[in-house]
Amino acid sequence: MSVKVEASHGGIPHGKIAAAGIIIALVSLYIAVIGHEVLGFDYFAFFGGIAAIGALIWGNSAIKRLCSYGIGAGVPSAGMLAFGSGLFGMFLGIAIGAMTSVWIIPVAVLVIALITGVILGWIANTVLNMKIPVMIQSLAELAAVGALTTLGLRTVAIGGLELEAGFVFVAVGFIAVAFMLGAIALQHPFNACLGPGETQDRTNMLVIECGFLSMIIMAVISFVAVSAVAGWISLVIAIIGWAVSYKKYIALSKRDAAAWLDAKPFVDAEEE
Amino acid sequence: MSAIAAKAGADAGAFQPVPSIIALVLAIIVIAVGFVLGVGQTLCLIVLGAALIAFGVHFVPVGGAPAAMGQAPGIATGVPMLAAGAGLAGLFGGAWAAELGLAVALAGGAIGGALMMAITCLMVNMSYVFGMGIPPASGKIEKDPLTGYTQPEFKSQGTEGHGLPFISYVGGVIGGLLGGLGGTLIYLELLAFYEAVMPAADAVGLAGILAVAMFLVIAVLAAYNITGTIEGPHDPKFKRFPRAIIAAILASGLCGLLALLLVALV
Repeated sequence: MSVKVEASHGGIPHGKIAAAGIIIALVSLYIAVIGHEVLGFDYFAFFGGIAAIGALIWGNSAIKRLCSYGIGAGVPSAGMLAFGSGLFGMFLGIAIGAMTSVWIIPVAVLVIALITGVILGWIANTVLNMKIPVMIQSLAELAAVGALTTLGLRTVAIGGLELEAGFVFVAVGFIAVAFMLGAIALQHPFNACLGPGETQDRTNMLVIECGFLSMIIMAVISFVAVSAVAGWISLVIAIIGWAVSYKKYIALSKRDAAAWLDAKPFVDAEEE
Repeated sequence: MSAIAAKAGADAGAFQPVPSIIALVLAIIVIAVGFVLGVGQTLCLIVLGAALIAFGVHFVPVGGAPAAMGQAPGIATGVPMLAAGAGLAGLFGGAWAAELGLAVALAGGAIGGALMMAITCLMVNMSYVFGMGIPPASGKIEKDPLTGYTQPEFKSQGTEGHGLPFISYVGGVIGGLLGGLGGTLIYLELLAFYEAVMPAADAVGLAGILAVAMFLVIAVLAAYNITGTIEGPHDPKFKRFPRAIIAAILASGLCGLLALLLVALV
């Protein structure tokens, strides 16, 4: 089972990307909380989208690490598992926040999702006999990523993190849109870029592009629940972010594609 | 199915007694906690639904990328996608019938999932037979156990079989039936639980998305158990299903407890 295939050589190590992603996600969520709780407006709703992108970058690195072992069920399965397990942590974290304080929500969501992921990883590794060294850590990280991404997209849609503001999010079914947008943004980049020519900066740029694309949809949805100004701020930032990252991704693709085309065909030793 | 997904190791099929017992003990503890909190019965039915899903996933003929090239039998996609498609179709079918009582809703869910898989299998076979010009043939058995038709004559050289033989088709329908039944059972239990404490619209949304989430967790764990492709109930990998059921019992017990705590806490 543990046949390791290196996805991309070199690049930034997973630990640094994970740390950066988690810090971006938590700081952005807390800025959104400050905007809603201290300053009393919802113009900072777009920071939820930034949090989702931070979490997605972390999750993409974790998926890359997990899938380099060949899990047999494909890259998309990891994205589905991440969001399926993360959702329980997200809802329970918000419920705990409703009982205590809204400031606890991001950390509570992160911790509950990590615990859920550790148990699911243990099940996969021992009961199902997967025997992948990074399984437990990866599934824990992915569950946390799923929870933080959904929480971030939810913040874009409803402007804050509270339980009360979020009923429209669940009752109207925005949650299903956020679930799938997040899951596709998590599983698509590595699935699209994997292979011998995979480079870390190109994959990460695709993550950012997918994240902003999801944020555009959530920003359009958010006009139902947030003030018009906040909705427009989110939408404009998402569109600008998407356009810039898309342009950069195309440039990186052309860079890597040119490198591929310039490669010489293999020459048989006998002909030389 | 991704290009990078490697073949499973030879020992991947072995049953793991010690971790399985630990997992069952943990599951009993989780369910006991549920009874202490007063949500034990709901939790037990959620676990039953998850076990049905995990069992049902093993019936679905999954071919992955080789099937797309006509080099292996089955439907040409990954386990999570197929299981989610069949199970969610059933879940939606059952959800529409939720007002008509438990029995009708469960039957609606099961038939919805089975119908979805029956249509999928039919169209897959049509595209294989009339589009790619290949006869359905299994690579794992000599004779179809249901029809008695011999298989090796129709199998192309260098392939593991192709198309959907009758046994795989029947397996797909049974898989959809069990998946739809399990998914609907989870949804109905969560719905009844949430409806008691919150407005109907919130309860439907929350129960729906959490049932989908739990379905995906169980389906992916079952997919990890299968490691890639399976032909249906006649495939040797089918014998691995006890592991997946044990995994599903613990995973759904944990996720179900978290889902029920939402209301028990607030």
